[in-house]
Amino acid sequence: MSALRDRADAVALPAVAAVTLLVLTVLFYYPVGRVLSEAVWREGSLTAEPLLAVLRDPFFFGVLAQATEDPSVLWTAIAPHTLRLSLPFVDAGVAVTYPFPNYRLGLFGFTAYQALLSTVASVVLGLPGAYVLARFEFPGRETVRSLTAVPFVLPSIMVAIGFIATFGRNGVLNDVLTALGLPQVELLYTLPIIVLAHAFYNAPLVARVTATAWESVDAGVAETARSLGASPRRAFLDVLLPQLLPAILTGALLTFVFSFMSFAIVLALGGLSLATVEVWVYQRVSQLDYETASSLATLEMLFSLALTYAYLRYEARQRAERAARPPARKRLFGRLNADRLAVWGYVAVVAVVFVTPIASMVLASVSGPSGLTLEHYRFLIERQATGADFQIKPLTAIRNSLLYGAGSLAIAVPMGVLLAVVSTRDVPGSKLVDTLSMAPFAVSGVVVGLGLLQGLVFGTEVLGYRITVAGGVAVVAAHAVGAYPFVTRNVAPLLATIDRSVVESARTLGASRLRVLLDIELPQVFAGVVAGAAFAFAISIGEFDSTVILATGSSAYTMPVAIERFIGRRLGPATAMGCVLLVVTAVSFLVIDRLGDGRGM
Amino acid sequence: MVDIELAGVRKAFDEAVALESVSLSVAEGEFFTLVGPSGCGKTTTLRTIAGLSAPTDGTVSFDGEDVSDVPVEDRNVGVVFQSYALFPHMTVAENVRYGLRFTDPPRGLTADERVDELLELVDLPGMGDREPDELSGGQQQRVALARALAPEPDVLLLDEPMSALDARLREQLRREIKRIQRDLGVTTVYVTHDQEEALAVSDRLAVMHDGGVEQVGTPVEVYEQPATEFVASFVGENNVLSGAVTGRDGDELAVDVGDRTFHVAADNGDADHAVGDRVTFCVRPTHLDVDGSRNRFPVALGPVEYLGGTTRVYGEWNGQEIVLRLPEPPEVDSLTVGFDPEDATVL
Repeated sequence: MSALRDRADAVALPAVAAVTLLVLTVLFYYPVGRVLSEAVWREGSLTAEPLLAVLRDPFFFGVLAQATEDPSVLWTAIAPHTLRLSLPFVDAGVAVTYPFPNYRLGLFGFTAYQALLSTVASVVLGLPGAYVLARFEFPGRETVRSLTAVPFVLPSIMVAIGFIATFGRNGVLNDVLTALGLPQVELLYTLPIIVLAHAFYNAPLVARVTATAWESVDAGVAETARSLGASPRRAFLDVLLPQLLPAILTGALLTFVFSFMSFAIVLALGGLSLATVEVWVYQRVSQLDYETASSLATLEMLFSLALTYAYLRYEARQRAERAARPPARKRLFGRLNADRLAVWGYVAVVAVVFVTPIASMVLASVSGPSGLTLEHYRFLIERQATGADFQIKPLTAIRNSLLYGAGSLAIAVPMGVLLAVVSTRDVPGSKLVDTLSMAPFAVSGVVVGLGLLQGLVFGTEVLGYRITVAGGVAVVAAHAVGAYPFVTRNVAPLLATIDRSVVESARTLGASRLRVLLDIELPQVFAGVVAGAAFAFAISIGEFDSTVILATGSSAYTMPVAIERFIGRRLGPATAMGCVLLVVTAVSFLVIDRLGDGRGM
Repeated sequence: MVDIELAGVRKAFDEAVALESVSLSVAEGEFFTLVGPSGCGKTTTLRTIAGLSAPTDGTVSFDGEDVSDVPVEDRNVGVVFQSYALFPHMTVAENVRYGLRFTDPPRGLTADERVDELLELVDLPGMGDREPDELSGGQQQRVALARALAPEPDVLLLDEPMSALDARLREQLRREIKRIQRDLGVTTVYVTHDQEEALAVSDRLAVMHDGGVEQVGTPVEVYEQPATEFVASFVGENNVLSGAVTGRDGDELAVDVGDRTFHVAADNGDADHAVGDRVTFCVRPTHLDVDGSRNRFPVALGPVEYLGGTTRVYGEWNGQEIVLRLPEPPEVDSLTVGFDPEDATVL
């Protein structure tokens, strides 16, 4: 009896790990492998031809493409360019000039360049936020802190709509300028708007990571430096900053990876004239040129995997411990001094950058040429009633979104929790599972979508049977792959904080390893599971990159896809659809959160 | 209740060796202490007994039966950790009751009755509905003790259970643990780095150092007759002197240290010492007496610590530190002290 239980216990966790890996293989590794094989496999034999074709094409790699023949082009290409890099955004406001190096650097070079600018912008916008969060006390501080996680799950296409409503030709910004008697600006389809949108996404991330590190620096450290004679500024530079630097670099590296792989933002705000690798992959896919698409995707994947690996290696070395005595917080509200004035100035900037796009979208959805109107919403309802079969129907999009969201949740939550358990506990092979399960983090939605399209939707032969999967099922698979790392990321840190002796106490009292997991560990991390579920659902609802590829030509479209289809023709209905998406996302977030509270512990 | 036998237990981690062939026997119902500085292997030994750490070599037996392959949850041990390790999402009563999910309460009691009985035992009656974070450190540790005892374990293992508590509370709780252990008669292994605590509570203790056992004995044996230089200086204060044997006069050895010849009782040591051998002996500070008539030597006095009732003085003789205990702080720079040959212990 006891021996039987031991065996079940010994097998349970590894079995769970194996099943998770199997699911991961079907949903992720096989499809991505298909993309890879498309790039390196031709007529039954291995070939480097498609990859080399991309690498040697100046359109993709600019001067680098010729470097194998004439290495000196590297220097001549970079030397003048470095000088020009120091002059971005000189006359920001009217006619923005900035170096536009894509003819020199090619598609990959431009993608990296815009990611670099986005990273700088995100760090500049995010660091003051870290300072405010870490060093000031004000009502709602914890709420603001939680809100820094929100942009991450905001549907990218919705943010793009918000930016168009703010900075577009008829946007809020131009309305304000006109009212002030100033000339209008044209920012849409320019690099600055893309950089700003990326900062919208990533600055909160930089702020959050840095604030966490800041709070974990013991107050005694800076006080010791001060007592030894350092001025506040010196104490900050000599003692505090070196301890914050790893966190800032972590935030910057992640921002770079995300901006490099950004899709919806670039597609909607930049179009093909500012195309990044990701957008070009999509363009090739829609032209049915799968070979070039796969080669590009493979090269992009290698690059982002390398960066993500660097990030994970780096992050592993800096687990933040809670400070014995965190730094004291200053009150934000009080007599106005230089410090507080600067903070309020920053708050104003944040309000403009983060609130305006959403507010503009809502405003645009209810305004027409002759003032306030509900005509855009009416258009959505009419389209539902009278639209042709090939046209996008709003209700179908909403129903699909909710359905796929529920499906993704059902896969991503158990999978994410199990991976969190496997990665934080001593299970044979846990290191391997941990590494393999983080890979989807580094592979873009477009690539996953392309892989699922080629591998599952077009069908595959298994043991002589042709297996094909409906578009909707493939969409759920893609969403689950995108969502489960968020569950793992929410649960694993909480699991890791559980004192080892708590687990051992339960063991000595007679509980098996599995029982300890169910009785002791999971109840303590329940809040993390709920948060992870909310994230997973929101990710699914807002996912655009892989959905747009999988939904093309089928009825498996979701709200974000609907928005993108409307953008080109009518901004009004697009903003109205954006508002619907905003409400659905917010409501589902709240519902899941409330359900979690209700369950209690 | 069982007796415990460790035979040749060795534990190697990736590179370092944590335990070097440890053999110990703990008698049924005994309060046995593992004491030593941090990193000496005492906690690894305790975890090996619990089944939380598998030995690289050697066996652990309960009542003569090899339990090396019995998993921790089937060993019927109760463990109390330094960090209390209460389940934060359960009330006090739920914590204490947890082990009863896997074992029936003794003497036909219901689980509720057993929980009440144990909360009574650890002097926390009626606290069952509290949450762990509402309790003080001392109270949390009592709950941890009650939880460990609830399934009536064969062996109670205490891993530095009081290190996180302040000194006064520690003394109070250790008396209480001792009382409960005596009432229940449960075989107990207690780990501490505090030699004073080890002397105070143990039936017997093992002094550990660098992954090995230096000496096992009753508190009086270990204090009065330290087996090694490490035990001599770790358990209580001691002055350790070494020199060459220059003669033997009945029960006494003559040992030359520096420019003095000391006479020490030979029968206090185990080994037979011949003329010319180097020997080490130790003398407790309390045995160095200004009025001592034999073995006198001058000590240059240094820092003074007044401890209330007694005074500790750090002095120097022959280039080495000599610790003295005096009734009150001295008003001179040097003192000549002596000791009785019977009070020296040859190692």
